[in-house]
Amino acid sequence: MDIIAGFSHGLLVALQPENLLYCFIGVTLGTFIGVLPGIGSMAAIAMILPLTFYLEPTSALVMIAGVYYGAEYGGSIASILMNIPGTPSSSITCIDGYPMARQGRAGVALFASAIASFGGGMIGMVVMAVLAPVLAQLALNFGPTEYFAVILLGLVAASAVSNGSPVKGVAMVVAGLMLGTIGVDITTGAERFTMGIPELRDGVSLVIVAMGLFGVGELIVSIKANASGAHQNQIDYRQFYPTRAEWKAMFAPILRGGGIGSFFGALPGTGQTVASAVAYAVEKKISPARARFGQGAVEGVAVPEAANNSATQTAFIPTLTLGVPGSASMALVIGALMIHGIVPGPRLLVDHSDLFWGLVASFLIGNILLLILNIPLIGLWVRLLQIPYKYMYPTIIVLICVGVYSINNNVFDVWLTLAFGWAGYLMRLFRFEPAPLLIGFVLGPMMEEQLRRAMLLSRGDPSVFLTRPISGVLIVLTVVLLVWSILSALRAKRRMRGAMRSAE
Amino acid sequence: MSFRAATALTLAAALMGSTALAEPGAWTDEPVRIVVTFPPGGTSDLIARILAQYFESEFGQRAVVDNRPGAGGTVAADYVAQQAPDGTTLILGNNAPFTIAPTQFDSLPYDPMAGFTHIAYLGASTPALYVQPTMGIATLDDFIAYANEHGITYGSSGVGSITHILGQAVDSALGIEQIHVPYQGSAPAIQDFRAGVLESYYDMLAQNRDLINDGETLPLALAAPARSPLFPQIPTFRELGYDVVIENWTGLSGPAGMDPEMVQTIHDTVEAIMEMQPVVDQLAQWGITHTVMTSDEFTGFVGGTIETWRPLILSANVNGG
Repeated sequence: MDIIAGFSHGLLVALQPENLLYCFIGVTLGTFIGVLPGIGSMAAIAMILPLTFYLEPTSALVMIAGVYYGAEYGGSIASILMNIPGTPSSSITCIDGYPMARQGRAGVALFASAIASFGGGMIGMVVMAVLAPVLAQLALNFGPTEYFAVILLGLVAASAVSNGSPVKGVAMVVAGLMLGTIGVDITTGAERFTMGIPELRDGVSLVIVAMGLFGVGELIVSIKANASGAHQNQIDYRQFYPTRAEWKAMFAPILRGGGIGSFFGALPGTGQTVASAVAYAVEKKISPARARFGQGAVEGVAVPEAANNSATQTAFIPTLTLGVPGSASMALVIGALMIHGIVPGPRLLVDHSDLFWGLVASFLIGNILLLILNIPLIGLWVRLLQIPYKYMYPTIIVLICVGVYSINNNVFDVWLTLAFGWAGYLMRLFRFEPAPLLIGFVLGPMMEEQLRRAMLLSRGDPSVFLTRPISGVLIVLTVVLLVWSILSALRAKRRMRGAMRSAE
Repeated sequence: MSFRAATALTLAAALMGSTALAEPGAWTDEPVRIVVTFPPGGTSDLIARILAQYFESEFGQRAVVDNRPGAGGTVAADYVAQQAPDGTTLILGNNAPFTIAPTQFDSLPYDPMAGFTHIAYLGASTPALYVQPTMGIATLDDFIAYANEHGITYGSSGVGSITHILGQAVDSALGIEQIHVPYQGSAPAIQDFRAGVLESYYDMLAQNRDLINDGETLPLALAAPARSPLFPQIPTFRELGYDVVIENWTGLSGPAGMDPEMVQTIHDTVEAIMEMQPVVDQLAQWGITHTVMTSDEFTGFVGGTIETWRPLILSANVNGG
């Protein structure tokens, strides 16, 4: 079907009162679930799954999708206001969002995040409408060697995320890689670093690490700061809307973030967290404002939000057209369709074009609804910051514990989160940054899995990484990036030495 | 009451008396939790949700699904084993915690037999062996010849998973040595298969229906006792002379020490649901074959699978300590 005809037909489907209602319910529920720390879209979708048995498949899918991307809007709110990632992928938003809130620019940060999410969502939607079959085909050509190469490229790009000492940055990436090895080894079934604790057999959950390091760690720091007499966050109510310069500064990062996010969203298994991490790292390399990254740059909020939201839309491409769910939430989508007798796969686009185009058009409607919902709420959210700490902190701790407990109904996870909280506090005390650790933790296990699988399939021949065309190109790009960053670092050093000499 | 209605009632009463002592119906005033060993969304989860829905709508027994995934289903089994045997906590069990884990792990926190009351067998789905249609392999004999000459890679849904055990069973029955490539679930394995990097894989039949029809994958043999109504043209390993039967079973169990009368009621309620037409249709679509077993037969079945699978699991070398 022609794209424009398909999309306008989809718009008619999505605008049916029933679908509009479920879209609204979905995005509203998603936003609120996203704000709550620890409870991600996965838990919310699981909750509404039984309800979808009674709906039309299109309404069901539109509502589930609404929860999914609505949670990404909501997730950034807690990240910006309290440094607590509402969803794992919004932990990257903490890096610049929270400093902005500390500077009294929480309103601007929330506005930027909503606009960037909208922009990213629209890019993801266009990509899905125009490129779904092409991207599905591309994802089909991604075997283990290609996954390994693209993750390697991401990791090299991410090595730039650290702000402080490069040695500490590398140490944190390595610590993240090591944390990622905990659990049963996927390739051999051997247990690694589980210390006989059955709860560790499946490894440490990303939610626990993110909540502990960013959320609980930040709370401990703040309590200590308040005890020593620091003030509550200052809020400047006049500064809710970005200035003209800030609008301008956000435009290109949103486009780039949306593009990178669309790509990683369409690759099954990588998802929003990898998308926002890589987009942030790339932006930090090329942005004119890179020096301010980590200290409250509006670009640093816009990029990960555009990336994770576009990734939530394109994540539907492999799920629907290949039947390959990229994440646990997407597996739920397949489950919801299966109960209606619809098998996601190559023929879905033809057999159920109503469903596909209705969903694509609902992205447009849902994202507009989210914008309408979120912008007026900014004032309300910001006011949350004025709740006295003695009420707010215990509430947040309770919310975090409940959220973490709800993942596996396991008390062990709560203790583990608190342990990571203390680790996060100590890291802050000694000026180690949590962001590189998180990136190592997310990318490391994926990279190991794909590397070992590629070697098994090639029967131990490492040359496949260069001889397979896509992976060969990616490896060359990685080497170029690596050489370029080493050279530019050396040049900067020489220039600095030169400047020092001329100053003498 | 008319004569005809009276006769019908007498007949119905006689029929019920001859099949079971208990009557299908609610067995507790409390809501029942059906613990599922997987995250929401998979076939297993959906079966539990169908059961919960029919318990409530047809028999007035409130029921909810409680997903407790982790450590190959052992987290859920351990949890259920520790609950009170009052019929309020049940587990939708399968081969992972009850058949494989007892051999795979040296120290299990629960006893798969003495720690549970095995109530009702729900059914099983069958895995098959698939190869690339472009490899010039058309029969199992071609497959053996190819494997002996070039070696062959196969994808499984994970170390110690049912498809890995099946791969081991095929190795020992056919006298070949395949190269095992584990994935996290069958979906990513199938993706690599379609990317052309994986030569073969093992997976359930129903989930591959579209790929088979589109000619993207070629099923060679079925690990079931009999051919499947879905694809009657696919032979079983047994017909071809190799004794490989590995089925992915599902059943309902509870903690040890449940009241026999309550067990009978739950069993009969489940059986009544399994005979309802919408349920029959849904299970057929997912490729699940239901067989009627009494609770005693089901208990014997679970114990039997532990013994018959043990040598295969040991040869797969998946000991997790």
